[in-house]
Amino acid sequence: MGSYLVKRLFASLLTALLASVLVFLLVRLVPGDVVSQMMGQAGGETAENALRNFFGLDQPIYVQYANWLMQLLQGNLGTSWTRGIPVTQMLGPAFLVTLEIGLLTLLVATLVGLPLGIVAAIHEGKPLDNLIQAFNILGLSAPVFWIGLMLLVGVSTTFSWSPPLRYVSPVQSLGGNLEILALPIMSLGLLQAAAYSQFVRQNVVSALHQEYVRTAIAKGVSKRVIFFKHILRNVMIPIITFMGLILIQILGGVVIIESLFALPGLGRLLLSAIETRDYPVVQGALLIVVAAAMVVNLLVDLAYRLIDPRVRVA
Amino acid sequence: MLLSQVFRRRSLLRSGLMGAVVLGSLATAMPTFAQADGLYGPAATDAVLGGRLNMGLLVEPPALDPFHQAADARIRVTVLMYQGLFYESPTGEAIPLLAESYTVSDDGLVYTIKLREGVKFHTGAEMTAEDVAYSYNYIRDAENGSPGAGDFAAVDDIVVIDDYTVEITLSAANASLPMTLGNKYGAVIPAGYFDDENAKNAMNVASVGTGPFKLGEFVPNSQVVLEKNPDYWEQGMPYLDGIDFSILPNSASMLVALRNNRVDLVALSRPQDVQQVQNIAGLEIERWPSLGQTAIDLGAETAPLDNLKVRQAISLAVDKQEVMQASIGDFGTVLGTVPAGLQEQWGLPLDEVPMQGPDIEAAKALMAEAGMADGFTLTLTTINGYDWMDPAAVTLREQLGEIGITVDIQRVDLGVWINNFRSKQMGFTFNDWATQPDPNLLFYRHFHKAPEGADFRNWANDSASALLDEGRATSDQAKRREIYLEFQKELADTVPTIMLFSPDHITVRNDRVHNYVQHPTGWYYGLARTYLSE
Repeated sequence: MGSYLVKRLFASLLTALLASVLVFLLVRLVPGDVVSQMMGQAGGETAENALRNFFGLDQPIYVQYANWLMQLLQGNLGTSWTRGIPVTQMLGPAFLVTLEIGLLTLLVATLVGLPLGIVAAIHEGKPLDNLIQAFNILGLSAPVFWIGLMLLVGVSTTFSWSPPLRYVSPVQSLGGNLEILALPIMSLGLLQAAAYSQFVRQNVVSALHQEYVRTAIAKGVSKRVIFFKHILRNVMIPIITFMGLILIQILGGVVIIESLFALPGLGRLLLSAIETRDYPVVQGALLIVVAAAMVVNLLVDLAYRLIDPRVRVA
Repeated sequence: MLLSQVFRRRSLLRSGLMGAVVLGSLATAMPTFAQADGLYGPAATDAVLGGRLNMGLLVEPPALDPFHQAADARIRVTVLMYQGLFYESPTGEAIPLLAESYTVSDDGLVYTIKLREGVKFHTGAEMTAEDVAYSYNYIRDAENGSPGAGDFAAVDDIVVIDDYTVEITLSAANASLPMTLGNKYGAVIPAGYFDDENAKNAMNVASVGTGPFKLGEFVPNSQVVLEKNPDYWEQGMPYLDGIDFSILPNSASMLVALRNNRVDLVALSRPQDVQQVQNIAGLEIERWPSLGQTAIDLGAETAPLDNLKVRQAISLAVDKQEVMQASIGDFGTVLGTVPAGLQEQWGLPLDEVPMQGPDIEAAKALMAEAGMADGFTLTLTTINGYDWMDPAAVTLREQLGEIGITVDIQRVDLGVWINNFRSKQMGFTFNDWATQPDPNLLFYRHFHKAPEGADFRNWANDSASALLDEGRATSDQAKRREIYLEFQKELADTVPTIMLFSPDHITVRNDRVHNYVQHPTGWYYGLARTYLSE
């Protein structure tokens, strides 16, 4: 287990390094930089050069990268070029917002999607199954901004209520925080629940058709025992992988929901940093997303080893 | 001027009452300008003191530093915290703000400015001439990297005479100096402020201006909180205890927030959004005239736009009214050669503007003279996120198709567009920009040939440049007007740009908000005179 972890960490670091080079180059390939953003249709050459020098943009790109990497190794992600505060100071709160959205969405998706999937599988081919599948198809095909907007407008028209605009963290006020997050979580959660339930249904259905299950049924083992002892354990592995995927997807893809509901999360921060060409923030935010994806993957792998003895041997 | 990425519209004095054109139905009486009514808007006779106003922002200020950020989204908010020596009245006068009065030498080169006494910075320190000289000397030194530096190029020297007097010496007469000492770039801040390396950034944490509000908190992607400045020098102002700007970059969410009173006031940019809140009880929609303009720019570096006859043919083929209808419906004013807010005072009368379309026959004749009777293909650049540009582009494609020009529409990101613009490679493109209410500040940098101006469109027009120099140096208003009319004739006749329309500013407020007047620049000056009933 120890050597496995070391290998994993080493591979992760290498991936992160490659990702950082890619991000560094990609963000600089986009025409325009922070200086032209600051100047707009004003300014002049001297002023621009002075600013480029101030941001170190006049140095060769490999020097810029080396400087950034050296800082990074000291745990310093640099300073935001537009806000002037340390990048970590911006990423921290934003990441927590997004992480909370991600975890709550996962919770909602699990609570709704898992039972739905199981129920559908057990009633395979019957009306109930068809009904659940209809919900799944709807959820899978509806774009998140549409669902979010419909919820927002629907709730507003029905109850004359919309979420508060001043974000408060769960530490400041749990009630206030949930009041703000209720609609965005529902929008994302419904969507993910549909994917979830479809995925669970497929896995359970295929497990139900396995030889050993039929044998067990023939031997008269109770359905409940078969389900919880055999099937559930077998479908847990793909389901955990799926949960990991959902979480990564949310961490990287909440831009739309965060913009719709004015949530100061990582996705929105990343978007505005790309718009203003605030390279240190873009690099830092993407690094966080990559790191988070790696951590989730690692956790998924570790969970496998706990659940499935065969993986440990391999 | 950064692309004014938002809305525009305005209001007027009617028999002493400040009232905008209220859109009960879609009646669209053209708003006209208020008489100068002092700083920031009309003082209220029966203002209620206190309360916090929630204002929605569709565009986030990238930073709150008035010295180094040109973005309009920044200016809109920082004018409440930072003040220059003069205030840009909607009618185009520079009204003393931190200045008290000034005199100009006979040759127009030396401005002696008396300062207001008893003004305090948000830091608690008192403002003196030393702070004024420091602030303007900082901004005019291009090495300090301010987008405003170019506007101060004519300033030779700024010296302190005594605690409340500064003297500004120019290298050439410049009648718009007072307006340049306004509130767009820079402000008066404590002397030595930028000596600290982190000073630029500190402006996002605490304000150091003299304005009616000070910065409470700026949370990225979330909000900007302003608090009343208790030491503010204008007696009894501002009325509000504070302003909470909520940044909500999505107009659908903004409309929902408006309906549920999460937001008291917002400036909208899209006609379809305005229509959605049109008949909601308790919401007032108002239109205000604007100093913004939408335009087609024709960069002469791109063939065949270097051919005068081709540019004239394009100008004649364009039906501005039709383009405006497609883009923003009736929420704007079709232009000749200046933004709507300048037309009355500085604009060439619309019936005297040459090369105005649509006149397809004349346009075709010019195409033939240019040897382009068979037409050609032209790429039109539009910018992502500027809603008016998409319908305008399709409409323009149809219009130019009539004279054989095939238009390819290319959408680019704002950063890409700015890059093309600044490197004078803009080709054939839409533009969206705004000005202070002064013809020199409107035209000089954009259209004067290099090196004095930027000549972004590679127009390289000697006679027009000479007129711009003359207009800048003339302080006699009537003469100055004649010069600028002459310039506009040349501008319209040789077509480096085609000004299309000024989209009105449109504000939506709930009925607890009183006395808000939208300044034609789109900046939120009016909040310094706004109060809440309740």
